[in-house]
Amino acid sequence: MKSFGAVCKMELKLFMRDFFSFFFALVFPVAMLLLFGSIFGNAPVSDGAEVRMMDICVPAYCVMVTGVTGLMSLPLTLAGYKERKIYKRFDATPVGKRAVMLAQVLANLLMTLAGILILLAAGRLIYRIEMKGGFLPVFLCILLSTAAMFSMGFLFTAVGRDMKGTTLLCYFFYFIMLFLSGATMPDMLFPDSVKKISAFLPMTYAVDLMQGVSGGDSLGSHGTELLVLGAVTVVCTVVGAGFYRRKDWA
Amino acid sequence: MSQTVVLVEKLNLSYKSLHAVQDVSFSVEAGEILAVIGQNGSGKTSTVECIEGLRKPDSGWIRVFGKDPWRHRGEVYREMGVQLQEAEYPLKIRVEELCRVYASFYERPADWNLLLTQMGLDHKRKTPVHKLSGGERQRLTVLLALMGLPKLLILDELTTGLDPEARQNMWISLGKIRESGVAVIMVSHYLDEVEALADKILYLERGKQQFFGTVQGFREYAKSRIPCEKRKEAISLEKLYLMIAPKTTGLTMEGIV
Repeated sequence: MKSFGAVCKMELKLFMRDFFSFFFALVFPVAMLLLFGSIFGNAPVSDGAEVRMMDICVPAYCVMVTGVTGLMSLPLTLAGYKERKIYKRFDATPVGKRAVMLAQVLANLLMTLAGILILLAAGRLIYRIEMKGGFLPVFLCILLSTAAMFSMGFLFTAVGRDMKGTTLLCYFFYFIMLFLSGATMPDMLFPDSVKKISAFLPMTYAVDLMQGVSGGDSLGSHGTELLVLGAVTVVCTVVGAGFYRRKDWA
Repeated sequence: MSQTVVLVEKLNLSYKSLHAVQDVSFSVEAGEILAVIGQNGSGKTSTVECIEGLRKPDSGWIRVFGKDPWRHRGEVYREMGVQLQEAEYPLKIRVEELCRVYASFYERPADWNLLLTQMGLDHKRKTPVHKLSGGERQRLTVLLALMGLPKLLILDELTTGLDPEARQNMWISLGKIRESGVAVIMVSHYLDEVEALADKILYLERGKQQFFGTVQGFREYAKSRIPCEKRKEAISLEKLYLMIAPKTTGLTMEGIV
């Protein structure tokens, strides 16, 4: 336990030292909030509606944070450790690679929650955004979205033959999902043709779920989203683990 | 009364079509240094990686402290320190941070502040590991292998990248480590190092075990393989080794000049 704690601490430190991870998980979402806030101000989503644009932007940016850690930081760290045989190095100690990988998942989860917390605090302070949904349902949605993104990233590290392969997969899916799922731009602005693509992206379901539940919907009214995200998590994790088991990745 | 630390019997390991290790058997006692020698690709690293529990043998029997290192990796590593031939560390981690993490792996870790001084790395504490020179990194990997005060130390190319002075110091340290009763397995290409340090030799050729025994025994074995008239020339271990090792075509100057 002492050693696992030390490895977690090391991974957290390394996360903070990686400019990309630090900036895009902790700073960039707040910058987006300020940018879109300056555009929309307190405008409602449509004429006469009670919900403001900013009320749906904040939950969407929360999903963006899970995308940054799950589809970029985590998989790129894993792929780097694999390629540079750092896991093998830890396998030649009492801790072993599985504990290190678990510490990396945990460190990224903590940073995801930190990023979301900063975002929500900024949203409340600057735009007085109040979550209508309860803490627990919203927290569960964050965890489920994170699990889905992390497992996709994990699958990319398993499928990618090397660092380059994994990087390509990560960048491709991260940017497609970032822009076409509604995580940055509200999906109500999309034309129908783009919405058809969005329906195939797991992140779209995470955004819909977060927006709905933080707006006060019950979890039960978002069965489809819960099902899709749960299925993505299970399938990607199982398939990814299968790839790892078959390959010699020491 | 000597105590057997490592026991290997009829070890076999293949990578796809390559039979990397074939029927290798040997043992290492406490307070003994075993040198594993042979050309590149002769199966040295594959053999030690099986002992390190990093590779699963196809067949054979390995016991480290009486335990199977593949199945009881965690337990075996409490008393085994390993320096890998190629090892990298996370980017941007600093020397002392890495030491602290490694120290947390063991119940009674070594005094790593003292080790840093002894290894001449004291002034590099705050340096990121990836900015160390080759020799400094090599010394750090040896330091980390010693962190758990191991009873078995496995060193894969211990002195590669070290300057002559550092090499000499490493030899002296290794001698002291042996005196304290630690069993050492070292993979080496430097026959002078083997001659100076090793008690026993395991010699491999293309994955096959050619010899296992004392250093003196190896001399006799090697002499028996070379013609009588050449035996007088073979004074050093290195000369002997070069005479029996499979010939590879050296670089000829044709095509260059």
